[in-house]
Amino acid sequence: MARSRDRKTVPPGDAPRVIDQGSVWILVAAPSIWAAHFLLSYWVAAIWCAKLGRGTSLAEPRWIIAGLGGLCIAAIIGLAVLAIRRYGGVFVIFEEITESSERARDRFVGHLALLLCVLSAVAILFTVIPGMVLGEC
Amino acid sequence: MTQEIDLSKLPPAEPYDKARDEAQRARLMKVWQTPTGWRRISAVNNSSVGKWYLLTSFAFFTFAGFLALLIRAQLAVPNNDLLSQGLYNQLFTLHGTAMMFLFAVPIFEAVAILILPEILGARDLPFPRLSAFGYWCFLIGGIFVCGSVFFGVAPDGGWFMYAPLSSDPDYSGLGADIWLLGLSFIEVSSIAAAVELIVGVLKSRPPGMRLNLIPLYCWYVLVVAGMILFAFPPLIAGDLLLEMERAFDWAFFDPDRGGDPLLWQHLFWIFGHPEVYIIFLPSIALIATILPTFAGRPMVGHSWIVLSAVGVAFLSFGLWVHHMFTTGLPEISLSFFSAASEAVSVPTGIQIFCFIATMLVSKVRRSVPMLFAGGALAIFVFGGLTGVMVALVPFDWQAHDSYFVVAHLHYTLIGGMLFPLFAGVHYWYPFVTQKKMSDKLGRWSFWLMFGGFNLTFLPMHWTGVMGMPRRVWTYDVTDGWAVLNMVSTVGAFIFAAGFVVLAVNVLWPRGKAPLVERNLWNAGTMEWSAEVPDKPWGVRSIPYIHTRYPLWEQKGLLGEMDRGEWFLPDAEEGKRELIITDILDARPLYVQRVGGPSYLTIGAAFCLGAVFILATFHLWTLTLLFGAGFAGFTLWWLWTGTAEIPEKSEKEAGRGLVLPTYAQGNSSPGWWAVFITMTGDMTAFMGLVFSYFFYWTALPDFLPGAAKLPGFGWLLLGLALLLAGWATGLLARERLARGGPAQAMALLLVGVPLGAAGVGAWCWAAWRAGLDATETSFDATVWVLILWLGLHLLLDAVMRLYVAARIWRGRCTPRYRADCVNLTLFTHFLALTAVVIFALLALFPMLMGVA
Repeated sequence: MARSRDRKTVPPGDAPRVIDQGSVWILVAAPSIWAAHFLLSYWVAAIWCAKLGRGTSLAEPRWIIAGLGGLCIAAIIGLAVLAIRRYGGVFVIFEEITESSERARDRFVGHLALLLCVLSAVAILFTVIPGMVLGEC
Repeated sequence: MTQEIDLSKLPPAEPYDKARDEAQRARLMKVWQTPTGWRRISAVNNSSVGKWYLLTSFAFFTFAGFLALLIRAQLAVPNNDLLSQGLYNQLFTLHGTAMMFLFAVPIFEAVAILILPEILGARDLPFPRLSAFGYWCFLIGGIFVCGSVFFGVAPDGGWFMYAPLSSDPDYSGLGADIWLLGLSFIEVSSIAAAVELIVGVLKSRPPGMRLNLIPLYCWYVLVVAGMILFAFPPLIAGDLLLEMERAFDWAFFDPDRGGDPLLWQHLFWIFGHPEVYIIFLPSIALIATILPTFAGRPMVGHSWIVLSAVGVAFLSFGLWVHHMFTTGLPEISLSFFSAASEAVSVPTGIQIFCFIATMLVSKVRRSVPMLFAGGALAIFVFGGLTGVMVALVPFDWQAHDSYFVVAHLHYTLIGGMLFPLFAGVHYWYPFVTQKKMSDKLGRWSFWLMFGGFNLTFLPMHWTGVMGMPRRVWTYDVTDGWAVLNMVSTVGAFIFAAGFVVLAVNVLWPRGKAPLVERNLWNAGTMEWSAEVPDKPWGVRSIPYIHTRYPLWEQKGLLGEMDRGEWFLPDAEEGKRELIITDILDARPLYVQRVGGPSYLTIGAAFCLGAVFILATFHLWTLTLLFGAGFAGFTLWWLWTGTAEIPEKSEKEAGRGLVLPTYAQGNSSPGWWAVFITMTGDMTAFMGLVFSYFFYWTALPDFLPGAAKLPGFGWLLLGLALLLAGWATGLLARERLARGGPAQAMALLLVGVPLGAAGVGAWCWAAWRAGLDATETSFDATVWVLILWLGLHLLLDAVMRLYVAARIWRGRCTPRYRADCVNLTLFTHFLALTAVVIFALLALFPMLMGVA
C-alpha cells in the first residue's frame, strides 16, 4: 500500500535474520561446513605427520577425518531438510522461480541452498577419499 | 512474513507534464553533470571512473603484452642473446605481475564500476568517491611498478616472489621492494572496489529486485567481491612479513633463525589460487549476460549458475597447495588439495553446461560478441581439461614448472578471462559510446587472435612435456625445442596483430558516425534502458523491478522511466541521490545522498601512493609526512562528504513513497562498508595467526622456554586495558543515543590512553622477556602481532578524535549518530583481535605446557 505523509513512514527494519525464515545465511552454511571439514582434515593430518614424522600410520587421523565427514554430512542433511521444509526448496533442473513475492524469494533461497547442500556433500566425500586411501604419512 | 511495502500497488503516476519533465531533467542534469576541461579529473561518476579504469587497465595490458612479445622474441631461436638474462628475468616477472595485478583484477573492477549501477537501474554506486580514490591508487601504483623496468630495477623473482630469493636483499634488489609495496598499494584499490561492489549489489538494487530476480552478472560480482575480501588480505599479511624481513631483518623466512620460506608460498597461494577464479568468474559473468540477449530467452538453469558461482567461490579456497605439490609436503596433505581441485571442476562444468543448454534450446543470433564468447568456451574447456590433469599429483610432478603449465594457465586465463572480456567490449561498446564497432574488423581481430593464440600456446604443451622449464632464458639446439618455440613466437605476433586490430576498432574516432538505436541488441537487462544520447544521471527515474529481464518482461517500462513516473525523478535539493534498499527483497529503505566531484580523493591517493613509494626507498621522514598528508586528506573528505545531517528528515521519493534521508546502523551503507572492510582486515589478521600455527606445526622448537615468553601478568593487564577501551566505545554509543553528547565525547577520548596503555603493557611484556624480532621466528611473530594491534589502535585513536570532534561541532548528534555507531563496529573487531592475540601469546603456550 502507498505511504502518505500523515502516516509516518518507517521502512521495515533490516536487522539480519540469522536462523529464522528469510535468512540468507543458509546459502553459505553448507559450503562453510565443507570448508571447516576441509581445513580440519588438512590440519589434523598435517600436524599428525609433522609431529610424528614420515612413515607414521594414518590410522587415527583416518577415522577422525571420516568421522568428521559423517558429522558434517549429517549437518548438511539437516540444512537440506530446513531448506525444504522452511523455505519450500525444491530440487529441479529447470528452475523458474521468477514470481515477485516474499514466498518466491524464500523458495529460491531454499532451492539454491538445497543445490549447495548437494555440492558441499559431494565435495566432503571428495575430501574423505584421500583419508581412506593413504595409509601412512 | 515481514512487513512489506507492496510496490505493485502504489498510486498511479501523475499525468505527463512536459514543462515539469523538462524542469526535472534540467535539475538532474545540473546535479549529475561531469566537470569539463581539466576539471574532469575531479569527476566521480561511475561512467567516468569506470571508463578511465577500463582504459588504464588496457594500457597496462598492452604494456604487459609487449613484454610478452619480447619474451617470445628472445625464445624464438636457440642460444639467443637478444636480451640479457637479468633483463629477461625482469620481463617475465613484470609480464605476470602486470597481467595479474594491473589488468586481470582491475578490469573486473572497471567493468563492474561501469555497468553494475546501470544493470541495477541505479544512478551510481553507493560510494562514488571511494571508486575514484581506488582508481587513482591503481593508476599511481601501476605506473610505479611498471616504470621500474625502465630504470633496470623491475622485480625479477617471478610473479610469485618466492622466498628466500625475495627475502634476502643480497639476491633481489630494489625490485622486490617495488613489487611488495607497489602491489600492496594496488591491493588497497582492489579492496576498496570490493567494498563498493558488495554494498552496491546488496543495498543499491532497484526497489523490488528480490534475491530471486537479481541478474546473473550481479551474483557474480557479489561472489567475486566477497572472494577478494578473503583472498587478498592473506597476501597483504605475507607482504608485511616479507617487507619486515627485507627492511628490518625480522626473522620470518630464514631457516637459520627458525623461519620457513614455505610460509610465503602458503600465504601467496592462499591468495593466488582464489585469484585465478577472481579473474575467471567476472568474465564468465559477461558471457552469462551476453548469451541470453543473443539467444533471445532467459538463461537455462539461472539458479544452477548462481550455484556454480557460489560453489566455485568456496571450493577455490581449498586449492592453494596444488601449486606446491613438489615442495615435499606429506602425500596426505597433497591429496586433500588434489581432491578439492577435482571437485571444483564440478561447479565450473555446470555453468558451461548451462550455457550450452541455453544455446541448444534457442536460435542464437550470430554476432561478434557471440563469436568471442564461443571462442572463449572452446579455449577455456581445453585449459580446464589440462587443469584436471595437473590437479593429479603424479602428473603434476612431471609437468611442474615446465612449459606445460605455462600452456595450461594461458589456456584458462585467455579462454576464461580475455576472450569473454573482448566479447564484452564488443557488446557494451555501444552502451558506453552510443556508437557501434565495425563488425568486419571485429571478425578479423577474433580470427587473428584465436588462431594466433592456439599457434602460440598449443605447441607449449609439447615443449613442456619435452622438458623445457618455464622462465628459462634460452636453450640449446640439441634440446630439440627450437621448431616448437619458433612456432610459438610466430603465433604470438599473430595474436598481437589481432589485438592491434581490436584496439584500432575500439579507439577509431567515430565522431560523425550515427548514434545507435536504443537497446540495439534487444537485451533484457537494465543497462540498455539508457537513453541515446547518454545522460550523466544513469536513469531518468529509478524503476520498480519485478522480473529478471525487465526490458523484455515489463512492457512500457522505458516510457515510464523516461517520463519520470518512478522514484527520485527530480533533484529538488540539488543533491545526488540514490535509493538504498534491503538485502532480501529490495524494499526501499532510505534516500542516500552521495558526494559529487572532488579533488580530495586524488589528494588522498597521491599521498598514500607517496607513502608506499618513499617507503620502498626507506625515506622514512618523508614517508611519515605524506602519511600525515593522507590522513589529512581522508579526514577532510570524510568530514565534508559523509554522514551529513540532512536538511529534512524525510522526503517524497515519488509515487507517494516517503523515505528517510538519513540512516545509521545496519540500514546504512556506511555501516556495511565498515563491516565488510573489517572482515577483510580480520582475514589479513588470520594470515598472521596462520603463520603462528604454521611455525608451531613445522618447527619442533618454535615455542621457547618459559623464561623467553612474555609475562602472563602484563599480557593480562594489557588485555584488561584494551577491553576497557572497547567498553568506552560501547558506552559512548549508548550515552550519545540517550542524549549525552558531552559524556560520549569524554568516553571516546578516555579510550585513547586506555588503548595506548594496553598495547604499551604488551610491548613491555615482550621487551622484558628479551624478545628480539631479528633473532627467531617466534620473537618476530610476537612483535608483528603487537605491531598489528598497535597500528589498529592508532587508527582507532584517530577515529575517536574524529568522532569526538564531530559530536563537538554538532555534526554527529543523538539523532544522527552514524559516525559513532560505525566507530563502535570497528572497535568490536579491534577487541576480537586483541582477544585472539592474547590467546596466542598467553594461553596457547600455557596449553602446550611451556609457560
